[in-house]
Amino acid sequence: MNEQRPRVLTPALVGGAAAGILSGLPFLNCLCCFWIIGGSMLAAYLLAKESPVSLKAGDGALVGALAGISAAVVDSLIGIPLAGIKLAVMRRMFERMAEFANEMPSGWEAWLDRSGAGFSVALFFIGLFLTAAIFAAVGALGGIIGASLFGRKPQPPQGANVAP
Amino acid sequence: MRGDPRPVMTKERRAVFAVWLLALVGSVGLVLLTLAAPALRSRSPGLSALLYAVFAPLCHQDPGRCFHYAGYPLAVCGRCLGIDIGFVLGTLLYPLARRFSRPFPPGVRAFLLISLPVSMDVAGNVLGFWSSPIGVRFATGVLWGAILPAYFISGMCELATRIPGIRNPPPGGAA
Repeated sequence: MNEQRPRVLTPALVGGAAAGILSGLPFLNCLCCFWIIGGSMLAAYLLAKESPVSLKAGDGALVGALAGISAAVVDSLIGIPLAGIKLAVMRRMFERMAEFANEMPSGWEAWLDRSGAGFSVALFFIGLFLTAAIFAAVGALGGIIGASLFGRKPQPPQGANVAP
Repeated sequence: MRGDPRPVMTKERRAVFAVWLLALVGSVGLVLLTLAAPALRSRSPGLSALLYAVFAPLCHQDPGRCFHYAGYPLAVCGRCLGIDIGFVLGTLLYPLARRFSRPFPPGVRAFLLISLPVSMDVAGNVLGFWSSPIGVRFATGVLWGAILPAYFISGMCELATRIPGIRNPPPGGAA
C-alpha cells in the first residue's frame, strides 16, 4: 500500500503559532504548558485532516515537536515588544513572593534591574534555545496525544475497489 | 507459551526499555531541578535564578500557587509539580501495565476520563467560579500526569523504530 504522508511543516507552524501567541501574552500564560500541548494537538489534528492514512504516534511526536519549536520562536519574538509589560508582571510577582519568603536575596532586585536595562542578543538566543528544547519535548507529548485522539482513519472494507 | 522462538530482549523491546528509562530519568530530573531552585537560593543565587528561568516558559511560577521548600517557592506551581510527579509515577507503573512489549497509546475514553478533573479545575479557576487550593491543583495534576508516559513512550518508540536497524524482522524471517 502506498502511504503518502502529508507534510508536517504547515500544521506544525499553525499549531505552534497559536501556542506561541497564547503563551507569550502576559495575562494568558497562566495556563502553563497547556497552551503548548493544545497547540501541538491542533497541529496533529490538522495533519490528520490532510493525511489519507491513519497517523502513527511517531507522526504526532514529530509534528508536535516542530510545533513546540515554532511556539518557542513565536513566544520569544512576541516577548521583545512585550518585555516591559512582562517585567512589570514579574516585579509584581516578586513583590508577592516577598510576602511568603523569609528573606529576598538582594540579587533578585539587581537581576530585575538588569532585565529592564535593555535587549541582549546573547540572552535572547540562549533563552530561545532553552525554550525551544522544553517546548519541543512538551509539544511532542501533545502531538502524540493529538495523533491518538484525531489520527485514526476508518479502514476500507476488504476487497473494495479503490480508485487510483 | 513453550517454544516461543522470539528472543527475550528483541531490538524493539530494548528500544522500549531505553525510552522508558529516558522518560524516568528525565522526569525525576525535572522534579529534582524544581526542588533545587529554592534550595540553592541562599548558596548560589545565580544558579537558582537560572533554574527558575528554565522553568519560566512552562509555568507562571506564581508564589501563591507554589509549594515552598527551604522558605522559597518551587520553580513550578502546584499543578505543574503534580503533573511532573504524576509522570514519574506513571512511568514507574508502566512496566506493570504494558511490560516492554510493543507500546500503544491509551484509548480516547481513558484520556478524556482522566483529563476531566484537571479540565474542570482549570476551567473553574480561569472563569472565576472558584479558586482551588494548591492541594487540589496538585492532585488533579498527578492524576493527569500519570497517563502521559503511556503516550510519550509509545510515540518515542514508534519514532525509534523508524531508525534503520531498530525494527525487528517479522516472524518467519521475511525481510
